[in-house]
Amino acid sequence: MRRATLSLLFAAVLGLASPAALAADPPKGLWLTTDFPSTTARAGEVSTIRLKLQNAGLPPEVVALSVKGVPEGWKVDLMGGGQPISAAMPASNESVTLNLRVEAPGKAAAGSYPIVIQAKTASTTTELPMSLTIGGEVAAKLSVKVKLPELRGTPKSTFDYTFTVSNDSGKDAIVRFGADMQKGFTATFTEAYGANELSSIPIEAGQSKEIKVAIKLPRDIAAGSYPARIRAEADGANATSQVTLLVQGTPTLRLAGKDGRLSGEAQAGVESQLALVLSNDGTAAAEEIELAGTVPQNWKIEFNPKTVDKLGPGEKKDVVATITPFNKALAGDYQSTMRANTKGDSVSSDFRIVVGTSTLLGITGVGIIAAALLVLVGAVAYFGRR
Amino acid sequence: MRREGSPFTGLGVVFLKEYADHLSSIRMRVLELLMVLAGVGVVVMVILNVRKTVQRDDFLFLNLFLYQQEDSAVPSLLGTLSILVPLVAIGLGFDAINSEFNRRTMSRILAQPIYRDALLLGKFLAGLCTLATGLTALWLLIVGLGLITMGVPPSSEEVARGVAFLMIAIAFAGVWLAIAMFFSVVFRSTATAALCALGLWLFLMLIWPLLVPIIVQMVAAPDPLAARVGLLSDSQLNWFLGLSRVSPSSLFTDASLVVLQPQPEATILRNPTIGMLTQAQGMVRGGALPLNESLLLAWPPITTLIAAVIGVFAFTYVIFQRQEVRA
Repeated sequence: MRRATLSLLFAAVLGLASPAALAADPPKGLWLTTDFPSTTARAGEVSTIRLKLQNAGLPPEVVALSVKGVPEGWKVDLMGGGQPISAAMPASNESVTLNLRVEAPGKAAAGSYPIVIQAKTASTTTELPMSLTIGGEVAAKLSVKVKLPELRGTPKSTFDYTFTVSNDSGKDAIVRFGADMQKGFTATFTEAYGANELSSIPIEAGQSKEIKVAIKLPRDIAAGSYPARIRAEADGANATSQVTLLVQGTPTLRLAGKDGRLSGEAQAGVESQLALVLSNDGTAAAEEIELAGTVPQNWKIEFNPKTVDKLGPGEKKDVVATITPFNKALAGDYQSTMRANTKGDSVSSDFRIVVGTSTLLGITGVGIIAAALLVLVGAVAYFGRR
Repeated sequence: MRREGSPFTGLGVVFLKEYADHLSSIRMRVLELLMVLAGVGVVVMVILNVRKTVQRDDFLFLNLFLYQQEDSAVPSLLGTLSILVPLVAIGLGFDAINSEFNRRTMSRILAQPIYRDALLLGKFLAGLCTLATGLTALWLLIVGLGLITMGVPPSSEEVARGVAFLMIAIAFAGVWLAIAMFFSVVFRSTATAALCALGLWLFLMLIWPLLVPIIVQMVAAPDPLAARVGLLSDSQLNWFLGLSRVSPSSLFTDASLVVLQPQPEATILRNPTIGMLTQAQGMVRGGALPLNESLLLAWPPITTLIAAVIGVFAFTYVIFQRQEVRA
C-alpha cells in the first residue's frame, strides 16, 4: 500500500516534469501549416500569408525552407522576423511563425497558381501545397459595432461610446474616424483603454480594435434626443453606426453680486446688506434652492429669502445677504463665500468684504477737539478783561 | 471792565517777533543741529540696510521713517523723534513767559496795545511754527535723501502718509510746547520751569513705561490661555493701551505706526492678543488699508494729541490771565 502511494507520487512528479509523456499518443514529426492553404492574392499588390513550422517531439534541427513552383514574374519570399529567410530551426515541441510574402505582377492573369513550400531536414521532407488565386478585387470592408448606442446624460456630462471597428478585408488598412453630429458637439476618439487622442489607426487584415469616442455637448443645449453618426473610413470602404444622446435638462445656477460686483463694504458690528443676483442659466428649472454662506468666525450672515422654491431656466432672482462682521473685527479685507445649492447643481462665489472703521469714532474725535476749543473760547471770554 | 476790540490785537506783531527771535537764537541753532544730525544719521543707516533687502514692498519709502535694525540700540527715526521733539519743544517753551518777568519786560509789553491773550497765543504759535519749520525741514531732508539714494520715487499715497506723519509729529511737538509754556507760566524761575518740564518728560519717557505693566498686572484679570503663550489678555491690553496713552510719546508712536504701516497684519503684530486671532480670522493677507481707513484708525490718538494741545494751552491761559503783572 505504501509502495503504491510512493509510486503514484513519483508518477505525478514525472508527469509534471513532462506533460507530453502523459498524452495518449502524441504525434511526432515536423509540419508546415497555414490557416488558409488556398488564398487570394491581388495582382500588383503584396499579400502576406502566415505559415507555421511546427516541431512535435523531435530534437531541434536545421530545417531548410524553399518555395517551389513560383509562377514566372511573381516574387514569393519566406520571411521570418521581418527578414527573408531560407532555413528555420524550431525547438522541440515549439513552432516558428513564418510569413509568405507574395508579390504578384500587375499583369498576372486571373486563375489559380499552385505553389509548394518545402521544409527539408537531413532525414525528412515535408511539403505544404498551396494555391494562390488571382481573382476579382476583394472589396475592402469595415464594420463598426457600438456596444451601448444609447446613453443618457446632462449637458455637463461626457457621452462615452465604445465601439469595435473590424477590418473584414484581406488587406491591412488605416482607418480614419469621424462623427456627424449637431453643430457645437465635439467628438474625441481614443483607444478604448488609452488616453491618446487619435484620428486614424492602422488595423491589420481580419483584426478589430476597440475605440472609444467621447462626445461633449455645449452647456446651453436644450433637453432632448440627439442622433450622432460615427464614421470609420478606409481606402474604398466605410462603415457607420448610429448612436443616440439622450440629454436631460439641468439647472445651472449662478450667484453674483448686482452689476457683477464681488465685493462689499461693511463696518465692524454693523449689519450691512449685499445685493446678489441668483440666476439659472441652465436648461431645466431649479427647485428648492438653498442659500448659505461661509463667513469668518463670529460673523453673521443671513439671506433673504433663505430658499427659492423654483427658478425656471433663464430666470433671475434678487437675493439680499445681510452680513454682520464681528464687532471687534479689525479693519481690512475679509473673504467670504456664498453658496446656492439645488438638486444636481451647486454654485459658490467668493466675495471680498472690506471692513472699515466706523466714522462715528472720527466724529467723536472732532467733537472732543470742538469741546476743547469751546473751553478755550470760554476761558478767553471769561478772563479776557485785561 | 470789559476790554475793547479783539483780544488778538497785536498777535501778529508778537508772533513775528518771537518767530524771528527763535530762528536766530543760538539755542535754536543747537537744537536744529541736534535734530539734523540725528535725522541724517538714522536715515543713512536705514538706506544702507534697505538697499540690501530684495523683498517686494509696496511701501518701501515709508521704511525711511520706520526702519530699525534688528539687535541694534539705534532707534528708528520714529523713536528718535519721539525723544528729540519733546526736548526741542521744552527748549523753546520753558522760558517763554517767565523770562519776560525776569527781564522785567512783561509790563512794558503789556503797556503796548497788546492783550495778554495775544502775547500768550503769539508766543505759543511762534514756538509751534518754529518747531513745524524744523520738522518740515527735517522731513524734506529725509525724503530728499531717500529719493537720491534709493532711486525709487515715492507713490502719491506714500507722500500722503508721510505728510500725515509730519502733521502728527507737529501736533506732538505742540503738546510738549504747551506743557513747557505751562511751566513757564507757573514758575517764575526759568530753571525750575525747565527742570519740571524735563522731569515730567523723563517720567513719561522712562518711568511710566516701566510702571504701566506693573499697574496692568495689578488691575486687570489675566487670561491663563493668553499667559501661556506669552500674550496679554484683552482686558489687560485695554488697560495697557489706556495707561500708556497718558504719555504723549505713546500717542505719537501709535498714531504714526498706524499711518506708516498700512498692512492690516501690522495691526495684529503691534499689539497681539488671543482675541486678535478670532478678530483677524478670514482676513485676506497681503492687502493694504486705504489711506482714509488708516487715518480713521489713527484718528483717536491724533484727536487726543490735538485736544491735549488745546486743553493744556487753555489751562495755561487761565493761570496766566489770573496772574498779577507788576513792573
